[in-house]
Amino acid sequence: MWARLRNKLLFLFRRERFDRELSEEMDFHREMLELEKTSQGVAGEAAAVSARRQLGNTTLAGEHAREVWIIAWLDTLAADLRYAGRTMAANKTFAGLAILSLALGIGANTAIYSFMDSILLRSLPVPDPESLVVLNWHAPYAEHDSVMQSMSGTTYDDPRSGVTAGIFPFPAYELFRKYDSVFSTVFAHFPGWQVRRLNVTINGHADIAAGWNVSGDYFGGLGVPPAAGRLILPDDDRAGAPAVAVVSYGFSQRRFGGPANAAGRSILVDNLPFTVVGVTPPGFFGVDPAAAPDVYLPVHTNELLGAGKQFGFRPEDYLAPNFYWVQVMGRLRPGVSLAHAQAVLAPPFRQWVASTATTDPQRANLPELIVKEGAGGLDTLRRRYSQPLYVLMALVGLILALACANVANLLLARAASRGREIALRLSVGASRPRIVRQLLTESVLLASLGGALGLLFAIWGIRFLTLLLANGRADFTLHAEMNCRVLGVTAALSLLTGVLFGLAPALRATRVDLLPALKETQGGRPARHRFRRVGLSHALVVGQIAVSLLMLVAAGLFVRTLANLQAIELGFNPRDLLLFQVDARKAGHKDPEIAAFYAALRERLSAIPGVRSASLERDSLIQGEHGLPIGLSGSPPNPANRFLTVGPAFFTTMRIPILAGRDFDEGDRPGSPSVAVINEVFAKANFGDRNPLGQHLTLREAGDESRLARDMEIVGVSRNARYGALTRAIPPVVYIPYDQGYPRPDEMVFALRTLGDPLRYVDSVREIVREADARLPVSEVRTQAADIDQTINQEITFAELCSGFAILALVIAGVGLYGTVSYNVARRTAEIGIRMALGAQRSRVVRMVLSEVLVLVAGGLAIGLAAALGTSRFVASLLYGMTANDPLTLALALMTLLGTALAAGYAPARKASRIDPMTALRQE
Amino acid sequence: MRNRTSLSSELLPGTLEMLILKTLTRGPAHGYAIARHLERVSSNVLRVGESSLYPALQRLLLNDWVQAAWGESELKRRARIYRITPAGRKRLAQEAEGFDRITGAIAAILEAI
Repeated sequence: MWARLRNKLLFLFRRERFDRELSEEMDFHREMLELEKTSQGVAGEAAAVSARRQLGNTTLAGEHAREVWIIAWLDTLAADLRYAGRTMAANKTFAGLAILSLALGIGANTAIYSFMDSILLRSLPVPDPESLVVLNWHAPYAEHDSVMQSMSGTTYDDPRSGVTAGIFPFPAYELFRKYDSVFSTVFAHFPGWQVRRLNVTINGHADIAAGWNVSGDYFGGLGVPPAAGRLILPDDDRAGAPAVAVVSYGFSQRRFGGPANAAGRSILVDNLPFTVVGVTPPGFFGVDPAAAPDVYLPVHTNELLGAGKQFGFRPEDYLAPNFYWVQVMGRLRPGVSLAHAQAVLAPPFRQWVASTATTDPQRANLPELIVKEGAGGLDTLRRRYSQPLYVLMALVGLILALACANVANLLLARAASRGREIALRLSVGASRPRIVRQLLTESVLLASLGGALGLLFAIWGIRFLTLLLANGRADFTLHAEMNCRVLGVTAALSLLTGVLFGLAPALRATRVDLLPALKETQGGRPARHRFRRVGLSHALVVGQIAVSLLMLVAAGLFVRTLANLQAIELGFNPRDLLLFQVDARKAGHKDPEIAAFYAALRERLSAIPGVRSASLERDSLIQGEHGLPIGLSGSPPNPANRFLTVGPAFFTTMRIPILAGRDFDEGDRPGSPSVAVINEVFAKANFGDRNPLGQHLTLREAGDESRLARDMEIVGVSRNARYGALTRAIPPVVYIPYDQGYPRPDEMVFALRTLGDPLRYVDSVREIVREADARLPVSEVRTQAADIDQTINQEITFAELCSGFAILALVIAGVGLYGTVSYNVARRTAEIGIRMALGAQRSRVVRMVLSEVLVLVAGGLAIGLAAALGTSRFVASLLYGMTANDPLTLALALMTLLGTALAAGYAPARKASRIDPMTALRQE
Repeated sequence: MRNRTSLSSELLPGTLEMLILKTLTRGPAHGYAIARHLERVSSNVLRVGESSLYPALQRLLLNDWVQAAWGESELKRRARIYRITPAGRKRLAQEAEGFDRITGAIAAILEAI
């Protein structure tokens, strides 16, 4: 058996030699036969004839001899492929369009699904991630009094389901640690408010680094080995322990020139001496896939970092039962299930948390413990991106459906036009399976080429999506890898399309009655037959139009959402404004010198040629929002009130008009009378029609409202300007000078109003800050416009992606429609010729074809519209400034699609009107 | 369109191959010589044309039962000379035995009537 297979395979490469040898051998045979006849006395020519007669059909003999060697299916496949290749080359447009639309569908799907997969399924790169758990809690009411009186971290509020969060008071963390029957380790970790942005000075060079607080058994619990030195141990995380830090592998490369150089080095963290004891392994990014910390600090270093700071950490925070700030994870003991852990831990937590409630509303809204699986770490990314990704997934799924419909339609049209060819081949003896196989080979080849090109598109798509989602953020940690399963599924889908729509017409084509099909002319096909085939392709076109409308509506909604967001009146001018952050306190400046330092820095920045004015603010207007107990003197503070500490010329720099009174100026300084500027909302809410100028406001200290911090005179009323999230109502705001007492300045954002492109001034800014203090890193340099764009990044991405998808859908549907109409016109050449011969005007022919297009389009639009109305509510939460069934969007989508369809139908209609009646009739 | 002068198509399948193998046990031979030998030995009952001889030879080659090499014919012409292989001899023994059984069976049926 093996000998046969080997010999057959060898034959594949020796075909020509085989043919040559065989014919030489048979020639020899014939000559010998002739020779023999001659020797028997038959004369020359007669001998040859007689020999040939005796030999029979030598060509057939050669064929039979060759057949012995051939692996039949492989040979037919090769022949089919060659033939399919030739047919495709002959119909380049057809093949190109089909392959391109399939490739786009496959590529887009693979890219989006790969992202989906890496967000939803990727495990932490640590040993045995399945035994990790994340502790969360859930409380029934979001807008309600709660035992969580103060917090640092993230809560997820939902008006319907309540609050979910992963932050706990320190005493709760200590409670969990007692349950070592359930856990082999319990560890705490969080991006503490003091460590999120650290000023790390190495060899005198200061830069900003992202920090993360970890408890002593964090690395042990995760089971991560050091890349150099050692990682943080339980003994490092206690009051009075030497100050140590662990840095990430990437950070060690960037700042130390490699992990070996980092271990053991002394550095300054916020101007305090620390020792780097070790480096985490490459690829380790902590437990939050949305973050990539540079520096890991023991929880107890918060005492060092917070000492003497106005909002610094105080050791009594460890005991505070109503301050939520510690994220907790644990590793379950072998054999302990999630449900068991939940059953063991929930009751003691409920009991403990009940003891921390002081009011009845708090008791009615107690947090309930949830033990969640932690193999994938925290679900920050999942919460942020899963909904948008589901929407995108649906959209790319529709694109693939469109592409498949197109391929199907093109194959249908082609099979129809090849009816005669197939009938001819059947009539000369080709077997039915042989022809079906031939047609199938073509469609599978088409699908395979589409799949291969799709792979390429997928690779580009993933890169492009990463860029788009990262939106220029260097610390973007979501790196999707090409997902082979997804690629397989989409490729299989395209193959299935090819087979299905290659097979259906192929089977039908081979079932044709030979005689009518052979006799068939271009116009005269039996009506019933035509109707069915055309019916299927028309259904596909209608479906494509419906799907395209759906995508156009989606794109329209997201584009209009973005437009609405961008049209939000800011109340200040975001153009030509440069922002950057500095924190002089972290570089070692102390009160009261720090205020003077900032004042001097502002003056030097104002003097840069081209800078029209410069000011500073506690936070950028859209990204930050701050509240302290502030209110009218003599009244209790109103929690709705917001404040912002700012520098001189703030309103001038931001271009916020002052409606009454004045802007802050250099005269408002430490020691001069405390002043404030309020916005219109505040004025209206607190003073109505009275003149607020000269009235007094009181600021109290956070946490201790009996302590009066400032008593301020209102010196100005400003026009409303956005403060806090773009889409929320403008709150009542009090603007106060940054240097007139509590709260004293820490980190500040400088704002420079420039002439021309703000980014041109970055070098001068860095130079001036370095001259002022080399220990002070400049961070987050950006324009005000970019600062705002960052908050609507998702909407921008969505609008861009969906517009792209919608254009793609339009093109694909347009091509489908064009193909179908062209085919119909070609098929009806004779009929149209007769109509014209009978006196139909060209315009009438155009109208006739277009009216048929319109019928298809109207059907598609009706279905699409119904689908859009039914499904748009799924994206309602991603929209802004309109309802999900925005009439303008729907109307625009309808018009666009109608226009495209008419354009796609016009070319074939025009061609139909150019039919020369004589030529058309002669074809009959 | 088969060669009607040949009886090979009326032989049991595989018989021609068996006869070729048997012929080659006499020594290497080219296709024409094989055909001539079969005709001569069978007193012209079996006339083997190209259309059955060469496919049969290819089947034998494919199974490695014979080997072919280009050599010189008796008349100093370039010819393809076939030679039986040990595997071919084994095959011949099997075939011959099988053929004996079948012809025996056929004879028995014919005599029984």
